[in-house]
Amino acid sequence: MGCCYSSENETPSQDPDESKPLIPHPNPVSKPPNGTDWITTSVPSARTDEQALLTSILTKTAQNIIDVSAADSVMMEQHEYMDKARQYSTKLAVLSTSLPQKKALALPSLTSQPHQVLASDLVPYSDVQQVGKIAAYAYSAISQIKVDAKEDLVVQFAIP
Amino acid sequence: MLFGSVEEVDNNKKRSSCSKLDFLSYLRSLTMESTLEQHLDDTMKNPAVVGVLCTDQQGHNLGCRGSLSDEHGGVVSVLAKQAAALTRDPTDSPTVCLESESGNILVRSHGTITVAVHKIAS
Repeated sequence: MGCCYSSENETPSQDPDESKPLIPHPNPVSKPPNGTDWITTSVPSARTDEQALLTSILTKTAQNIIDVSAADSVMMEQHEYMDKARQYSTKLAVLSTSLPQKKALALPSLTSQPHQVLASDLVPYSDVQQVGKIAAYAYSAISQIKVDAKEDLVVQFAIP
Repeated sequence: MLFGSVEEVDNNKKRSSCSKLDFLSYLRSLTMESTLEQHLDDTMKNPAVVGVLCTDQQGHNLGCRGSLSDEHGGVVSVLAKQAAALTRDPTDSPTVCLESESGNILVRSHGTITVAVHKIAS
């Protein structure tokens, strides 16, 4: 399809590899893509490989399929369903009381009256500058951290 | 009810950590991060500052004093990171200010660290 010189291929080629398409193209009308028939269009040597590949794909797919029709046969009665729901909720209630309640940690002293805060003066620029200085100094202090080896990490026990 | 009891436990922890403070400050003078610890102590000498915290990019606490404890490291580092994501200029490091009637918490990054300062209105 798309080949500029496709009209020149009228004389059959001697080498089967030459005429073989890189990707075997199924005929969309007569052969559905989900069938196995289209493989017959390719050369026999490639067929066995693809057949094996297809078989492996089919096997993998079959392993992943959950048979819903089989599950339907084990129908749960209404009272059974209610029993299970009750059982699970009881179990959850027991577990939730025993589990530690993870409290979201709030930064200290958040306001309950936002209008007061919003109406108040702006944050002093000196404070902003100050925190910038503190951060810069702390960064330089941290960059000064180095291992100060005072004694050997490995020592020999004096075994008599 | 439950929250009240949790608060109480936290307060007890703070009280017990206060009693250890003298010994810890002595211990810190011997460690290699003494410059940072000294800097945090100096910052707390400002009467308007009631808490200071220093954290790394992952929210690990590098040092803290006063109202800001090591549990706040994660929040502080994330606040600074999110604020920095708002600006296009990577060299421009914003200062996040949480305002309240009792004081402000200013969060500022510098390099790989983030510092939070809790300041009350002076």
